Amino acid sequence: MKRPFLKTVTTEAKLLLIGIPVLVWTLVPIYHMFLFAISARDSATSGRLWPQEPTLQNFDFVFHQKHFYLDHFWIQMGNSLLIALTVGFLTLLIATCAAFAISRLKVRGGRTVMNLALFTYFIPAAFLAVPMYKTMGLYGLLNSQWALILAMVTIASPYCIWVLKQASDKLPYELDEAARMDGASPMQLFFMVYLPLMVPSLVAVGTYSLLLAWNEYLYAFLLLSNDKSVTVAVALGNFLSADDSPWELLMTTGLIYAMPPAAIYYTFKRYMVSGLTSGAVKS
Amino acid sequence: MASVSFHNIKKSFGKTDIIHGISFDIRDGEFVVLVGPSGCGKSTLLRMLAGLEDITDGEIIIDNTPVNDLEAKDRDIAMVFQSYALYPHMTVRENMGFSLRLRKANAQLMQERVAHAARILNLESLLERYPRELSGGQRQRVAMGRAIVRDPKVFLFDEPLSNLDAKLRVAMRAEIKELHQRLKTTTVYVTHDQIEAMTMADRIVVMHDGIVEQIGTPLELFDIPGNLFVAQFIGSPAMNVVKGDFKAGTQAVAAQGVQWPVPASLARHAGRTVHYGIRPSDMTLSTTQQGVPAQVVVVEPTGAETELLLHVGGSPLTLVMHGRTSVQPGDTVHLDIDVSKVHLFDGQTEQRLD
Amino acid sequence: MSESATLPSAVAPARTSSSWEFWGRWLVVPYLLIFLVFVLYPVCYGLWLARHPESYVKLFEDPIFFRTAVNTLVFLVVAINVKMVLALLLSGFFIQTRWWIKIISALFILPWAVPSIPTILSVRFMLNPEWGVINSTIFRMTGLDGPNWLNDPTLALTFSMLMHIWKSLPFWTLILLAGRMAIPSDQYEAASVDGATTWQKFRFITWPSMKTLYLTSTLLSMIWTLGDFNSVYLLTGGGPADLTHVLATLGIRYLRLDQVDLAMASIVVALPLVLPLVYYMMKRLSK
Repeated sequence: MKRPFLKTVTTEAKLLLIGIPVLVWTLVPIYHMFLFAISARDSATSGRLWPQEPTLQNFDFVFHQKHFYLDHFWIQMGNSLLIALTVGFLTLLIATCAAFAISRLKVRGGRTVMNLALFTYFIPAAFLAVPMYKTMGLYGLLNSQWALILAMVTIASPYCIWVLKQASDKLPYELDEAARMDGASPMQLFFMVYLPLMVPSLVAVGTYSLLLAWNEYLYAFLLLSNDKSVTVAVALGNFLSADDSPWELLMTTGLIYAMPPAAIYYTFKRYMVSGLTSGAVKS
Repeated sequence: MASVSFHNIKKSFGKTDIIHGISFDIRDGEFVVLVGPSGCGKSTLLRMLAGLEDITDGEIIIDNTPVNDLEAKDRDIAMVFQSYALYPHMTVRENMGFSLRLRKANAQLMQERVAHAARILNLESLLERYPRELSGGQRQRVAMGRAIVRDPKVFLFDEPLSNLDAKLRVAMRAEIKELHQRLKTTTVYVTHDQIEAMTMADRIVVMHDGIVEQIGTPLELFDIPGNLFVAQFIGSPAMNVVKGDFKAGTQAVAAQGVQWPVPASLARHAGRTVHYGIRPSDMTLSTTQQGVPAQVVVVEPTGAETELLLHVGGSPLTLVMHGRTSVQPGDTVHLDIDVSKVHLFDGQTEQRLD
Repeated sequence: MSESATLPSAVAPARTSSSWEFWGRWLVVPYLLIFLVFVLYPVCYGLWLARHPESYVKLFEDPIFFRTAVNTLVFLVVAINVKMVLALLLSGFFIQTRWWIKIISALFILPWAVPSIPTILSVRFMLNPEWGVINSTIFRMTGLDGPNWLNDPTLALTFSMLMHIWKSLPFWTLILLAGRMAIPSDQYEAASVDGATTWQKFRFITWPSMKTLYLTSTLLSMIWTLGDFNSVYLLTGGGPADLTHVLATLGIRYLRLDQVDLAMASIVVALPLVLPLVYYMMKRLSK
């Protein structure tokens, strides 16, 4: 059935009417950041849409730590990276073990553990921040990177366990039974049958926790204070307190800091979208 | 190769009793089929034998060794599951060799055993494929290959053909039977399809509501069913059964307003209510006006045979005959009953009357 | 060669051996440890810190607390509903198959994927009254000075809400999009044949299928919005003069003023709102 030409044009026009504002709305803050990053200090604030003389000197400043605010840029990048990777790895480990025990081994009390995890997932992390801060003080972990790592693992695990459990439940139990009959011990089942079949979910979950830790601000700024041990997120926040901060360098650092998550997200997009949206709300 | 014995096996899930005390023996090398309707407990019994379910009470003995406390993997049993349960991330070769890999067998042995099984089952060209690339029948064979590589004492099959279409089922039935004749391993096979049972079994165990109704060879069960349930379960189309009075002094059972002939050998059971059974293939259309009158409802010619659905006094009856007939729906016919093939069952106990 | 549908496996039967039970128990221990040490204990400790009734008296007497409560409510009611309605509309937009819509949808995810600190700071700079892009443009076009955006509490709160919406809209749009895609297209085709308009299709097919998802998403979003610290803190810092605080940032403010008891009290006070929502979400998901 060929639709009349005019109707097609109006439909396309209507769609464009939505699409273009959406695109602009989405990109403005990011483009603005990019704009600052490629402009020199004075021209950045001129309000133009594209700098008169685009430059990469800001990147040079940042990478060579040529400003006292950037003194520890590389260490801080390293911290962000290290913490993110550790959180990703630990969360994956803990969540996979728990999901395997609950879903495949049908451990007694598994339901309760699942509920505890769900509860933690739903409580807003900001509400847990102050008690966590005080508790870390009690444990003597304040200012240590382990405080942030463990806090982020605590926050990321529940959701990861839930997603992995949902994915695990989709595997038929006959596979486990066949493996048992073939002579598999629990560990052999875990490594040789379970893990290989869970790879897409493991990727989604690992990426999720890694990004969560990399992007985290509140907990990072509460639990870490030493310039050498903070993450880039906290350092960016610290820039704000002064009046004469080099705004363009701030934006450049911000842009650099924002790129890895975007890159990772787009690389693993396939796993992320299906793995995580089905997890958040079961319709 | 091994014998299997069930001694007074009981199984409960919580307060519900599923299996009420089952005992029977399976001889070394026998192909035994557990058959029965859904929920009769046949799969549960099989899984208890496999070690996948706890045994609430009783003993299972394989080759003179009680196995109640043995783990599944220590019982030297291999199982073919209903949905094959092939490992999706492994090739056919890896699937079949998995059990050996778990036991850390050397590569040489694995290679030989897998090749041997692949040869028997015609899987040689499929060894590097993944399960998702195979058809249902091929997957079934891989599942059997995995079992063969184990070289176990007993093979267990849990409704392996249920997921296949009719034509494939017939072909696979023959393959499984052939395999058994070749390997001569004791086999316990579970199915709800009595045709599979009849065509494949050395002996059939008919189960119903957690107990054994009868055990016997296919033809024993067909010719001499021990009770009404077995009589109606075995044989397709099912045996025709009407309930009536066996009046003393007569040689017939009165049911549905009609007299049904009874052989002299059963005359002594007169004077009670009985279930009168006659198989569809043990009746013919009378050329005279003698015999049980019936109304033809549906005529179903299947080519070599014709199946007729009849009504006798409102009760449906099935007749199967060789060849064709000119009878039409609505006609009245008379049925010649082969009196030597009549079965009588007690009206109350439903047990066979001999 | 065809196959009939595979029967789904029954529930996993109880395991017979202790080796399986052993591993089952020990594999949940890591998570349980984390939970006990970093969730249960801090929660109990926090509640213990909030045990004095005087804290609550002080809290309610603090005008900032009252203002914060109002801000939070406004934030919840306005931001969430605007966001969800937009998500619903945009899910209808993104479900269309055009090559350029695909491109837009790939870019649309960016706000969610990138960290919020740099983007929020970027907007903060845009709003700078002296040299920010917005005011510079206004000056260039009209010769007038633009307003001091973040110095007006209402405007500042509005921008925080916009920031929040900017960040979380992609996620919810994706969720609702997934819900929309689950609706079988033959229902729409049947409706077309029956002569339904676009609005009627939405009202009688789309909305009934998506109602529950929309509701659940709104409730979940309420919980998460309550916890959105960054959108307010990084944009306004809670200012001007502590007038744009929300619950999430208030606790930190008290913490910084070394009034831990008030910090905890402000959180406890929010629990009657949060806990029923959490309970409801748990019921829905732990099926």
